[in-house]
Amino acid sequence: MNAERQTVYRWSFIWSGALVALVGAVLLGVAISQADAWARVSGMLGLSGLGWGGILQTLNALGLTAMRSSAVESVAALPGQRFLFAGAVVWLVGWVLIAGGIRRAPPSSEGPSPAAGAQLYPRLANYRDFYWSTLGAYGGGILLSELVLILLQTFLSNGGGASAEGKGLPPVGAFAISLIAASLVAFVAGFIGASRARRLAMPEATIGVIYLGLPVPVLLSLMERLPDLQVSLGYRLREVTYVAELLGRPVVGYWLVFSLLVLMLVLGINTGFIAAGSGRVDLKLGFELFVARRHVGVFRPSLLLGTLAVLLFGIIPPLIVYGIIRAVEAAVERTRIRALGLEDPLAAASALNRLKLREQSPTMMMTALSVGGVGVGVMSLIIVLSVMSGFEQDLQQKILGAHSHVVVTKYAGHLREYPRLMEQIAKVPGVVGQSPSIDNPVMVLADDEVQGIVLKGIDPETVGTVLDLPQNMLPGGSLENLTHPEKIVPRRSLGGFGLREPEQTEEEFDPIIGRPTKSAEEQALPGIILGRELAAILRVVVGDRVNVISPQGAELGPAGLIPKSRAFRVAGIFYSGMYEYDAKFAYILLSEAQSLFGTEGPSGIELKVADVDDARRIASQVRKELGGYPYNARDWGEIHRNIFSALRLEKLVMGIILSIIIVVAAGLIVATVIMLVLEKRKEISVLKALGVSDGGIVKIFLSEGLQIGLAGGLLGLFSGLAWCFFIEKVGIKLDPSVYYIPALPVKIEPVQTALAVIIAVLVTYLASIYPALKASSVEPVEGLKAE
Amino acid sequence: MSLLSIRNVFKSYFLHGKRIDVLRDVTLEINRGELVSLVGASGAGKSTFLHVLGTLDPPAAGELLFEGRSVFAMNDAEIAEFRNRTIGFVFQSHYLLPEFSALENVAMPALIQRRDRGESYAYARELLERVGLGARVEHRPGELSGGEAQRVALARALVLKPAVLLADEPTGNLDPATGEGIHQLLREVNRDLGITAVVVTHNETLARSMPRRLRLVGGQVTDA
Ligand SMILES: Nc1ncnc2c1ncn2[C@@H]1O[C@H](COP(=O)(O)OP(=O)(O)OP(=O)(O)O)[C@@H](O)[C@H]1O
Ligand SMILES: [Mg+2]
Repeated sequence: MNAERQTVYRWSFIWSGALVALVGAVLLGVAISQADAWARVSGMLGLSGLGWGGILQTLNALGLTAMRSSAVESVAALPGQRFLFAGAVVWLVGWVLIAGGIRRAPPSSEGPSPAAGAQLYPRLANYRDFYWSTLGAYGGGILLSELVLILLQTFLSNGGGASAEGKGLPPVGAFAISLIAASLVAFVAGFIGASRARRLAMPEATIGVIYLGLPVPVLLSLMERLPDLQVSLGYRLREVTYVAELLGRPVVGYWLVFSLLVLMLVLGINTGFIAAGSGRVDLKLGFELFVARRHVGVFRPSLLLGTLAVLLFGIIPPLIVYGIIRAVEAAVERTRIRALGLEDPLAAASALNRLKLREQSPTMMMTALSVGGVGVGVMSLIIVLSVMSGFEQDLQQKILGAHSHVVVTKYAGHLREYPRLMEQIAKVPGVVGQSPSIDNPVMVLADDEVQGIVLKGIDPETVGTVLDLPQNMLPGGSLENLTHPEKIVPRRSLGGFGLREPEQTEEEFDPIIGRPTKSAEEQALPGIILGRELAAILRVVVGDRVNVISPQGAELGPAGLIPKSRAFRVAGIFYSGMYEYDAKFAYILLSEAQSLFGTEGPSGIELKVADVDDARRIASQVRKELGGYPYNARDWGEIHRNIFSALRLEKLVMGIILSIIIVVAAGLIVATVIMLVLEKRKEISVLKALGVSDGGIVKIFLSEGLQIGLAGGLLGLFSGLAWCFFIEKVGIKLDPSVYYIPALPVKIEPVQTALAVIIAVLVTYLASIYPALKASSVEPVEGLKAE
Repeated sequence: MSLLSIRNVFKSYFLHGKRIDVLRDVTLEINRGELVSLVGASGAGKSTFLHVLGTLDPPAAGELLFEGRSVFAMNDAEIAEFRNRTIGFVFQSHYLLPEFSALENVAMPALIQRRDRGESYAYARELLERVGLGARVEHRPGELSGGEAQRVALARALVLKPAVLLADEPTGNLDPATGEGIHQLLREVNRDLGITAVVVTHNETLARSMPRRLRLVGGQVTDA
């Protein structure tokens, strides 16, 4: 049987085997469905995916055998049993076929070779295919990095607020430090493992990551589902879960971090292989860069400027400009050559030749495309993330304008003792303002209009140290009117051009309290400050009268409990710029609120802190200062957690989606570098013959990919920043009826921007690992033979 | 002690289930300063032998000793360094790197060793002048004639003053006169620099003019 036929047979065996096994799997699936057992089986199947299923099943079976004596003997026949047996048999037959296919062909029909018994060539004799030490380095490294991350995070940060131990760093800062430390551990572990084995040792890496790296994130993810686990681990891991929850979806956070650590491990492995894979550490790059730069000329002005132009202005305009420049250039050149030709025909002919030769090679085009691809990815990442940060900042500003940074409350009852508490709180460093307040939902009425709002009792003296309310007051009213309601000018005396009829009677019958009240003008009603939108809904202006009805502090009337009602005069109108607040908030004097709600003190003390991002730590210090229970202090991040975590999740998802562009660009880089490797096979052989080691070849091609990534990343950075500045300075108008913000907000966050570039460069580095390894495996004789 | 010793080297190719034994139990000593010619029929395995000698191709079994040290027992980086410092190659066709000028090509082995660039270029220029190409230093390989390129390749092989020069039909593609010029250069190099040289050739008269002659027949290398 000749070799080709044999190959065909082998392949048909393997393929038909795979098909048969698939049919078997389907049959098994049918059997499971009929038995309605997916729920029970899926856990096991999932574990089998990791390779643990078999071990667990064996343990399980052992346990069953042990218990057998007491077990019920008769097992009810399963519904899909026939399918189960058939499926299992077919599945096995499929694998037998595959095994038959991979049987090796007999080496030679010509008897033993003359070399039988000769000394084996030394490198082959020394070959080892598995390194336990490397497995230890990889697996131990990834596990250690996870533990370092978790422990360092718990140690450095302030313990989620309640506990006193820890270094008291803000959680995000602590997380950043721990993440860097953990990444370093993973990188070093990869480096050590690869340099010990002197090769990439992928089996070791896979085993290490799956068996030692996966359990921690799996455990963390499961914690959500299993309340028992949460109880036993939750307290210790609160720091970790807190940071993960900042993303809005903790599980996403765990796996992102895990992937990052694996990435760092892979980078370490690769670097270790290059540096020491061939016997000694050699990180010098001079020669490799010299060769790489000749292969791909990324850093040439024409390519960089061209790509930058495309990123900034789109494809068409630069293309037109380029066409014009080329045409003009060619015309000038030809004129020059013609003039030259009159004097020196030889030089002219050579110049003409050179003009024609200036063509671009396909690799050149691919290089430009890859640079552009990475650039587009980084640019869009930077723009979109900056705009989203802008929205977030805008929202934060507005929320923090209307809400305080930290609120101190009491678990039960009211803060009658607030002056003492305020003195104590003032001692906490970082607190720059405080004001007592009380708030409750009420209904507010003005003639025919009704609106449900939050009514807040404030102290006009101190409220300015906490909220932006004084600055947000629209002209015409003022905060002082709250304390001196007699200063409010009733509207009728302004000239009476209002829409409503002036009140006719002295005695007015209030339809809601069901009691006659005095005329609105004569009574010095307490003042109320409304949001602009609320005023518009109620159709009132400063000086108008509104009624507030509160379910809290209801009074006993003739017909049972009657909600309390009070009349107020609009003392001022504020505009915060956030629809929610302008339509849903009203402020009155603290003492008025106390009597309206029937409480004996404010419900909370609102604080302002110097650094908004430090609010969490300060809140915990305030709590400590007040001696904990029954007092509690919550920061704004905690109070408004839902909206911010939704925003962050959205940002994360956008980031991931846009990173796909970078991944596609990385695909382009893989293609480009593979093309380069194929194109340069002969050169690789020659370089090896001249004494370049495998590591050197890897370095050459890695730096080619990296050049592309770096150029793309930097171009993306420049164009992204340029676009952000454009949006900021020139502005993109938003529809005011929809957005309530005049223009698209932008906030360039340096860390986030740098991260986009770094990720792009890392991804391109990863992308060029495979082609570079391919290049290094070209044998020296291979290229020397190919003519 | 001889400079190079080849001990029981085997090399076979397997193709479609058939075995081609190219080298069968080759054992040979080459002394320092020798100028050796190697002849054999086409397909006899001369190139294969030279590649094994130059560590480009590992043998299936057997040993290659350089000054008593087993070369193939070294790790990849050490072999690469050995190749870089100790061995100079000239192939049947020139195999210059197309992106680099003649000067850079000649200096390449020195650059791989991370020698100083200025010094390397200066010495490379000197060598190019010596092979009569002082006026072609800036030319890319595509802008050189076949004979010129082969002379550049010879200069490249000599730039680090290797202990061993291996030449695989360096004049195969050249006209007799140019070929004779190259052979003349090889003899000079051997005489003046004391470089041990193994030259594969089809040219019997040329082979006979060498002090030591080897013949490869039936996978065996014998002195002729
Ligand atoms: N990669 C390979 N796979 C299979 N057979 C090979 C391979 N390389 C060489 N051979 C075979 O090995 C034998 C020796 O080849 P080699 O190139 O050494 O011959 P040579 O003596 O240099 O010939 P020439 O004088 O024509 O250059 C040839 O018969 C060739 O067919
Ligand atoms: Mg040959």
